[in-house]
Formats: sequence, structure tokens, C-alpha cells
Amino acid sequence: MSVTVKVMNRPEAGRTSYLRAALKGMGLTFKHLVNPEKVTLQYPEEQPDLSPRWRGTHRMEVHADGRPKCVACGLCPTVCPANCIRLVGGEDDQGNRYPVVYEIDEFRCIFCGMCQEVCPVEAIHVGVHFENGEYDRSRFVYDLDRLMEQDHPTTLLWDPSDPKSE
Amino acid sequence: MADHADLPETVTLTIDGQQVTVPKGTSILHAAEQAGTQVPHYCYHAGLSAPAMCRLCLVEVEKAPKLLPSCVTQVAEGQVVHTQSDKSLTMRRGVLEFYLHNHPLDCPICDQSGECKLQDYAHEEGRPHGRVREPKRVFGRDDFGGDVLFYGDRCVMCTRCVRFMNEVEQDPRLAVVERGDRSIIDTFFDEGLEGTNFHGNVVDICPVGALLSKDFLFKQRAWDLSHTDSVCPNCSQGCNIELHTRDNLVQRLRPRPNLDVNGHWMCDEGRLDYEWINRGGRLEVPLVRDGKEFHATDWKEALVGLVRELGAGPVRALVSPRLSNEDLGAARALVDQLGGGDLVYRSRRAPEELVLKGFPKLARRRDLAPNVNGADLLGMSRVGDNDGTGGLEGLASHDGIVLVVGDDLEDQPPTFGKEAALYVFLGTHSSEAASHAHFTLPLTTFAEQEGTFTNHENRVQRFWSGLPAPGAARPAWLILWALLAEHTGQTQPTRPEEAFVTVSEFGDVTYETLGKQGVIVTPPTRQEPAGAIGD
Ligand code: SF4
Ligand code: SF4
Ligand code: SF4
Ligand code: SF4
Repeated sequence: MSVTVKVMNRPEAGRTSYLRAALKGMGLTFKHLVNPEKVTLQYPEEQPDLSPRWRGTHRMEVHADGRPKCVACGLCPTVCPANCIRLVGGEDDQGNRYPVVYEIDEFRCIFCGMCQEVCPVEAIHVGVHFENGEYDRSRFVYDLDRLMEQDHPTTLLWDPSDPKSE
Repeated sequence: MADHADLPETVTLTIDGQQVTVPKGTSILHAAEQAGTQVPHYCYHAGLSAPAMCRLCLVEVEKAPKLLPSCVTQVAEGQVVHTQSDKSLTMRRGVLEFYLHNHPLDCPICDQSGECKLQDYAHEEGRPHGRVREPKRVFGRDDFGGDVLFYGDRCVMCTRCVRFMNEVEQDPRLAVVERGDRSIIDTFFDEGLEGTNFHGNVVDICPVGALLSKDFLFKQRAWDLSHTDSVCPNCSQGCNIELHTRDNLVQRLRPRPNLDVNGHWMCDEGRLDYEWINRGGRLEVPLVRDGKEFHATDWKEALVGLVRELGAGPVRALVSPRLSNEDLGAARALVDQLGGGDLVYRSRRAPEELVLKGFPKLARRRDLAPNVNGADLLGMSRVGDNDGTGGLEGLASHDGIVLVVGDDLEDQPPTFGKEAALYVFLGTHSSEAASHAHFTLPLTTFAEQEGTFTNHENRVQRFWSGLPAPGAARPAWLILWALLAEHTGQTQPTRPEEAFVTVSEFGDVTYETLGKQGVIVTPPTRQEPAGAIGD
């Protein structure tokens, strides 16, 4: 396969004026300044409209009595491609399997949503939410309590009207 | 099958279009295995009788009027067997559907998940969806005593557990009660499995998650565990086992079949005694004492420094029967090089053997260490009492070279080795009695190194390394041979198989001839090893 190289002839030095191009650019700027159709969002007063399929930080569903729904089956740490879920299972006082430790490193998470898809008891969800600012990196490892406290809406992993993305 | 090896006659048959020749008397199931086909089965287990009751191993045999249970049907000349024919597959799908009729599908919370035969078979050959509308019967869970929990809903009624207790443990404590879909495995009134010594095996042989180990309950998922072939370090029987590890910890021990040693089984004491392998606070770097202070250093400096101090002199060495043959051989070579001396070991001894009645080759032996015979074979002598303590009076106050390899000296006072001209301590953990050691060198445990143990009948068996060594810890043989290399200026073994062949007692046995089953090197000279002490 031959490679075609296009040789550009630059104008000679001293014979160029950038004035025309600069004016053209300024013209565009001023045009948008007076354009009535605004694209800037007045965040945070105005909140953006997130897609129902948006995948943000996680949320753990809770039972009515405050226990996490997770049964520590180990499927989400197994499926997670970023390997960011840490789970230690154990037995609670009623002999049920439950997560003694459940942590998600939101920095390593790639928000693929596979954890939500694989969960047999619909416990872990990725959320429709994007405001995750923190002052400290370590706060991005969400523990079980934090995941249970999150109360933003959870994602629809696919568009219900078009489940196969056609 | 080993049982049939002495029968000279063979039979040739066709299984799934493939010709196989097997000894006469082989079951179709085993013949199919040789032809590379696994016939699904629950009730059949190689170590138990075959009742042919789970109806899952039925296969089509040409000219037979009905499907035949392959676990008990013996092969015949010219037989043509189809394990994957429509008829066999339809039958298996039907049987599996019945198995799933009352099955709870607890897989997310079931410890068996990932190594469950019902999961496997249903996934391979079962129907994708169940058709059962009726409510499922529910039993809940029961504590069988000992280490065993019973989840009745998951049981497939294969009766392996019942037959194990009847035939192998020969202490019939489990039975099927009720009938039809209410039938369930139960213990007799309040008497559970508590007090039997091999009941852990029922958890292994249960093909589903009906019998679970309390020790392992909800601890790890089966698919996360790495398996390493090893030898049980808890008595001199030397049961072949697998170390199941994760997160750099041993999570459980499981028996590995070896019909010459442990069959398919292992004892409960050995099975549950693994936490010591995981004990933290390990020695991780070589320490050199300078006055009262210990300085961490690297191997080069520690070994060079140590060789400088190694004058010839009367050596007294304490080794441990938990060390491998390679380690013991290297310790002896070092002592010989320094002009010879005493090599002794201490070992805990149980009051009695616990024999598995249905497989008497297997017993929890009295010596609670894996390599007592190895140490004896290498001419080391036992000191101390049956708790593995005492017996070190001469050593503690010896004024020549004191070498301690692998014994943690837990019972010894801090003054141990105070008089020694040179006191070298090789161990996994530091100890008060090592506070006078001039050199403290970090060792690996058996789980972190490759090597061999010699069991009670002088069978040498290999084990493999399943865990990474912490820090700079190294196997004792490597350290001792490196020391010898430094001392003599000659090259010395740097691999376990080279270290193994330096031990003359093993003749021309090598790692290759040992294989996975082990070899008896010399028949033991005495039946009951060194019983005299404190008995
Ligand atoms: S969204 Fe994907 S990457 Fe993030 S935790 Fe779930 S499975 Fe892992
Ligand atoms: S998949 Fe669901 S139930 Fe299983 S461990 Fe993850 S959150 Fe828990
Ligand atoms: S026994 Fe097997 S199929 Fe049944 S719940 Fe346990 S893992 Fe699942
Ligand atoms: S408990 Fe397990 S081994 Fe015993 S009959 Fe049931 S399935 Fe078989």
C-alpha cells in the first residue's frame, strides 16, 4: 500500500495577513453572543436532564428492616472487569449469608453496569447521578453504609422501548 | 481401576464411536472415562458401593432392551454404548428436571456453587427453564454436629453420605428417613456426627450443597480458590491433599485421591488444622544481632557474615519434623561440613491412632508432624516429651555452634543459647528463646515451598508451593545450601530436585520417579516409631 503525502505550500514569510481570519473568528463569537438559543446551563441552579440509562456511582438497595439486600454471592466482584469490588461474606445472627465487607472503589470503576446486571437479588445498582466531588481521594472507596445511604435514582441499563439498541 | 489391574483379560468395546480396551469387570462408567466421556452421576463414588439409584448415569447400550446404569453395568466384548444419543440425553434431561422439582436454586447463597454437580449437569444438559408450578417443599437447615451443616432442600438423595458413614467410617450415624419427596437425611435423635473422626469427608462427597462445612461456611466462593497439590502436614500419615488458597491464605484443605495412602479421604483433625499456616507476624528479613540490637539485613550480608563466624567446632542442631526432606538433608550436610555433631528433633505425639475402619490404611497417626520418618531416616534422634517440649537441656547451654532450624522453641526460656559461640536460628516466627541468636533467618512454611515428606511407611511424597513466601523468607534447604556454597566455595543445589538427590538414603529416587503418588524408599525399620519417649 502506498502512502500519499500531500505537500502544503506555505505562503512566503512577510506576505501573510492573519487579520481576515481573526475578524472572521470574532464575527462568529459575536454572532453567538446575540443568538437567542442558549446552550449554557445555569448549573447548579439548573440541573441537567440525565438519561435514564446514565450510569453513575452505585447504590445498594436495602430491606425494610435496614439490612442490605446483598447476599454476598460474589458474582459482582467476579464479573467486574475493573476488579474494584471487595467483598467478604459471612453469616449473620439469623444464619443468613451477608456482606461483612462490601466496598466499591469508584475511581477504578468504569461504570459498565455489569454488577447491576449480574446481581441475582437486585441489590447493587449504578445510579443516575454525577455529583461526586470530594476533598479527599480516599473518600472514593464507598463502603457498605455509604452505598446504602445513597438515594439517587437507579439506572435502567437499557432503553425499555428499545431493549436491543436497534 | 486399580482393583482390576491383576485380572489379565481385557474387553474391547465401542463407546460413542470410539474403541476402548479395558480390563474385564470394568464398569461402563469407567470405560467411558477412558474414552474421554464423563457420564453424569450422583450416587456412584469410587470409594463407596454403587447402589445405582440416582438414575442419572443411564446410557444406551445397543441390543439392551432398556437404558442401563453405567456405574454398575460391566463392560462386555463388542458392546456398543451411546452416552450422548438422543435416548440417553432425553432421559437425563428428564431425570434432571425431577431433581430440580423441589430444588431451591439457592446458588447465590450456596457454598457449593461453582463446584456443584447439579449446577454443572443442569447447565450442560438440563432444560433451560423449569416447568414446575407446584410449590416446593421446604426443610430448612439442620446442624448435624461436628463440622457439618445440612441444607435439606438441596439434597439430591444420593445417599453417599449415609454410605460413607456405614461403609467407610463404619459408624452409621446418618440415615434416610421418611419417603417420597419428604425423604431426608437425618441423624439419630440428638446424636450427630460429633465425636467421629472422619465426618468431614461427607461434605466433600456430597455432590451438591446439602452438606456444608461450618468452618468454610460463606467464607469464599469455590471459583475464587486456587488449588495446589500438597501433603497434609498434620500427622505422619501424609494424606494427599489440595491446598485451597485465596488472598495469600489457606482457606481449606481437601483430600486428593491416592489409593496407596489415603484413598479419597482425610481425617477431620488434619482437615481443620490449617490456621497455623496462616499465622501472621512472620519473620520476613534476616536479622543480625549486634550486642542487644537486631539489625535487618539482606541475604548476601547475612550469609557472608555468618560464614565468617562459622568456625569448625562441636555443633548441636535442633531440627523439626515439619521440615521437608530437602531441608533436613541440607541441615545434616551443614553439620557434617562443620565437623559433625548431634541432630535432634522434637515432635508432638497423640495418645492413640485414629483408624478409618473401612479403609484401614488411613489413620491419623500418633506423630503429629509430617516428616518424623524423614528425620529418623536421616539419622536424627527424637528428644523431648509427647507435647513436643523439653529435652533441650544440653542444647540450651551448649558453648559451641547451636543451630535451630524450624523448631519455634516456644517452651524454652530467653536464656536459650546464651553460652553459644555461635547461635543461628532459622524459623518462621521469632521467639523469646531466639533473643540470643546471632543470626535469625526467615523460613518459609511447607505451603510456600516445594519439597517432599516421608510418611509413616517411608513413602516419600512431593508437595508443591501454593502461597508466596512473605518478604525475604526462603526454604531452609536453600539457605543452608547457600551457606555451604559460601563456606566451601563449591556450587551447591539451588533447586529442590537437586537438593533431594543429595540425600543418599533415597537411593536413585528422583522427583520424576516420585510423581504424584510417591514411592516407598526403604520399608520402615520399626512398626511404631520411637514410642519409648514418655509413653
Ligand atoms: S459498574 Fe462495572 S466497573 Fe463499576 S463496579 Fe460495576 S461491574 Fe465494576
Ligand atoms: S451480585 Fe448482588 S448479591 Fe451478589 S455480592 Fe454483588 S451485590 Fe451482593
Ligand atoms: S446445591 Fe448446587 S444447584 Fe443447588 S443451590 Fe447449591 S449450588 Fe445451586
Ligand atoms: S446430603 Fe448430599 S451426600 Fe447426602 S444424600 Fe443428600 S445429596 Fe447425597
